[in-house]
Amino acid sequence: MSEVRYEKATRIYPGTEVPAVNELDLDIADGEFLVLVGPSGCGKSTALRMLAGLEFIDHGSVYIGDRDVTLTPPQDRDIAMVFQNYALYPNMTVAANMGFALKQQGVPKEERAKQVKEAARILGLEEFLDRKPKNLSGGQRQRVAMGRAIVRHPQVFLMDEPLSNLDAKLRVQTRTELTDLQARLGVTTVYVTHDQVEAMTMGHRVAVLKDGVLQQVDKPRTLYSHPANLFVAGFIGSPAMNLVEVSRNGGPPSIGSLQVPVTPDVAHDLESTGGDLVVGVRPEHLTVGAEGLPGKVIVVEELGSEAYLHVQVDHQHEPIQLVVRAAGETEIDRDDTVHIAIDGPTHVFTPDGRRLGT
Amino acid sequence: MRDNTGAIVGGSRVKSTLLGLMTWAIALIIFFPVFWMVLNGFKEEADANTNPKLFFDPTTAQFDEVTSNPAGLLGFGEAFSNSFWAVGISTILVLVLAIPAAYSLSIKPVAKWRDVLFFFISTKFLPVVAAILPLWIIARDLELLNTRLILIILYTAMNLPLAVWMLRSFFAEVPKELVEASQIDGANLRGQITSVILPIVAPGLAATALLCVIFAWNEFFLAVQLNPVDGSTVPIWVTSNVSTRGNFLAKLSAASVLATLPVVLAGWAAQKRMIRGLAMGAIK
Amino acid sequence: MVTQVPFLFSLWYSLTDWTIVPPSPREFVGFDNYTSFFDNQFFREAVWTSILMTVFSVLLSVVFGTLLAILLDRKFFGQGFVRTLLITPFLIMPVVAGLIWNTQMFNSSFGVINWLLDAVGFERIEFVTRFPLASIVIVLVWQWTPFMMLISLAGLQGQDSSVLEAARVDGASSRAIFFEITLPALRPYLELGTLLGSIYLIQVFDHVDVITGGGPGSTNVPYFVYQRSIGGGWQFGQASAYSIVVVIASIIIANFGLRVLSNLLEGEAAA
Repeated sequence: MSEVRYEKATRIYPGTEVPAVNELDLDIADGEFLVLVGPSGCGKSTALRMLAGLEFIDHGSVYIGDRDVTLTPPQDRDIAMVFQNYALYPNMTVAANMGFALKQQGVPKEERAKQVKEAARILGLEEFLDRKPKNLSGGQRQRVAMGRAIVRHPQVFLMDEPLSNLDAKLRVQTRTELTDLQARLGVTTVYVTHDQVEAMTMGHRVAVLKDGVLQQVDKPRTLYSHPANLFVAGFIGSPAMNLVEVSRNGGPPSIGSLQVPVTPDVAHDLESTGGDLVVGVRPEHLTVGAEGLPGKVIVVEELGSEAYLHVQVDHQHEPIQLVVRAAGETEIDRDDTVHIAIDGPTHVFTPDGRRLGT
Repeated sequence: MRDNTGAIVGGSRVKSTLLGLMTWAIALIIFFPVFWMVLNGFKEEADANTNPKLFFDPTTAQFDEVTSNPAGLLGFGEAFSNSFWAVGISTILVLVLAIPAAYSLSIKPVAKWRDVLFFFISTKFLPVVAAILPLWIIARDLELLNTRLILIILYTAMNLPLAVWMLRSFFAEVPKELVEASQIDGANLRGQITSVILPIVAPGLAATALLCVIFAWNEFFLAVQLNPVDGSTVPIWVTSNVSTRGNFLAKLSAASVLATLPVVLAGWAAQKRMIRGLAMGAIK
Repeated sequence: MVTQVPFLFSLWYSLTDWTIVPPSPREFVGFDNYTSFFDNQFFREAVWTSILMTVFSVLLSVVFGTLLAILLDRKFFGQGFVRTLLITPFLIMPVVAGLIWNTQMFNSSFGVINWLLDAVGFERIEFVTRFPLASIVIVLVWQWTPFMMLISLAGLQGQDSSVLEAARVDGASSRAIFFEITLPALRPYLELGTLLGSIYLIQVFDHVDVITGGGPGSTNVPYFVYQRSIGGGWQFGQASAYSIVVVIASIIIANFGLRVLSNLLEGEAAA
């Protein structure tokens, strides 16, 4: 009923040569929570706005349900959008803000009030219905923006970094509420963020974009365990994956004196691939112990539940830094010498980003 | 710009073009009197004083005539020079006085800054005409009638409230942190103003100065009441071209063109700044 | 210290503007002057004329100015040039505007408007003699519409574009957006324009002098006072009395205006 489909959708801003969104192909299932994530300027907001009808689509098309909405104006697409700065109507009360769209549809007053009240109840906004936006806190405004969207029962929710203006604690709290809300309402949602933690924790699937091009779209777990290219590998996961450039001189790839274990299919690809490599290992797949690659601890990040050590090791006659996860409440200190071993999957890429193996 | 919030084309293309054409038409109609005035400046009197003619043999004779200085009458050069001085100096004075005032009302507001602001604006509510009597008497007693000085003083007083009002809102736009940073760096008042504030509010300054220039240059009543003989300004000079003998339309048009040219050119050049200035200065 | 200096200056200047000195020693006739003018029909007419002139000029120029601003707030060919054209009337010297309109537009023999009327088959109208007040108002509106247009334009361009986008997504038509979102947002600008415009338009003198010379029904209070004093009456006592009344009236109006101002400034403080 309300799937969303991008078909080779492209947006080139006038006067530029490189497309902001380049032939995006993306299928979003009905009821799915899809996150668009990527660094600044990757085109995620543009892609969202193309779906909303706020950006012109130069090539390709966009479908909502089985309707081609490429040329449909925003007001006719039956979508609801939450803006990054909330974009609340400043001269209207909360109730009027939330009821605005219904008013445009011609819904009679009592029915409107009923629906607004219901949405307010879900979001805990009942006591604010008569206030104006300027008398609300940031978190309250964010809820009003959400309320404005859910009261409409649209086919698709669009959200453009709705949490980025909240303080950290509120952000985490609202994150879970949002996910819960979407699961209950079951409305297809397209969500844009630059924060990969948000992406990983909220989305059914996550689409990673860079420079207008879709890098990979998968379940969060798959993105984590099988990044399709070097960029995704370095982008997903916090702290980021250790990426080490390895020049091969005939032997198997190694970091310093540490040999890198690879799966058979990677080993197979290695035979046909010459030249330098980039090897990736996540901090949580490195351990400190009695034996292994020696290194000096530069920084200790103690988080309580775990600790991250920034260790300087020698690799191919150059010092590099590796981030290693250790148990929390660690006794390890700056300037200590530790030994690092690999205890988990590794990833091998060519320098231009291609993943080896499967 | 920002009208098309949804960038969707449709039947609105036609509508858009029609609206554009309508806008052009309205603009041309509104501009027409000015255009006509310029046109008439180039006509012979005979051409000007008949049914409206669009085509004629242009001549600059009128311009020559109005800029010559017939004995006994107010001369072109004299009027312009008086105006330049009065307007120029008064505007500079206004800015020099308004800047510290605006600073004290915005950057480090005195407790009752709103009251002070009200006070300033309230001086503008009094019609000049009501005050002309005592002004005239005072001016006469101070022997300031028929001088440039009296106009300089009065134009400054006339424009000061507006300037303070506008500059205050521009100053208020300057991020406080910038000023505080400069204070920590050891800048005194003058340093703060010149190195930090003025560069940021420059467009607002330009807009304010332009408005002051417009009002001062075009000011007629005070000038004609207090300086009917010497120190007369351009507005007076223009009206002196209205004569009861013979046709004067073309001459008047030529004179009008010359009289309004400086301000119009300045306004055209600075209009973008003026809009930005009005936007920033009118409302916070 | 520095804050005191400009304050003192302003004090001095405002005193310069404020000082009203009825030359009592010379013509002390007690309060006769004051009582006489309330009976003075001409004064009452002048007040009425002032009200009409100001209200109509301000209202019409605000409405036209806003309409023009809406037209200008779009992308179209030659936008900057059109805006330049539209600003010009405000830059023209009032006396020049008055003279030009008087002689070239309104003139019954050679005026352009009448020529057009003639061409279309209507009768020629002697604007200035038959409609003196309207003639003045027309020129005033012509001159002040650009000013209001600039203020409205500033207001339109100051809108938060994401609010407009949200309205679109919420299904609002252009008309709905204008009335429910744009217009309320424009209110402070319109109020300011009205206030500033009124301040200047109440005091109109040049146009009256030049277009009608105070002809029937077109004498406003400033011109009236002028006529009674320097302009030929030389009735200093009487004129001073009128002046004082005008000052009092101005203060009353000013209070009203100040309330508007304080709302504006409150809005600024709260925002």
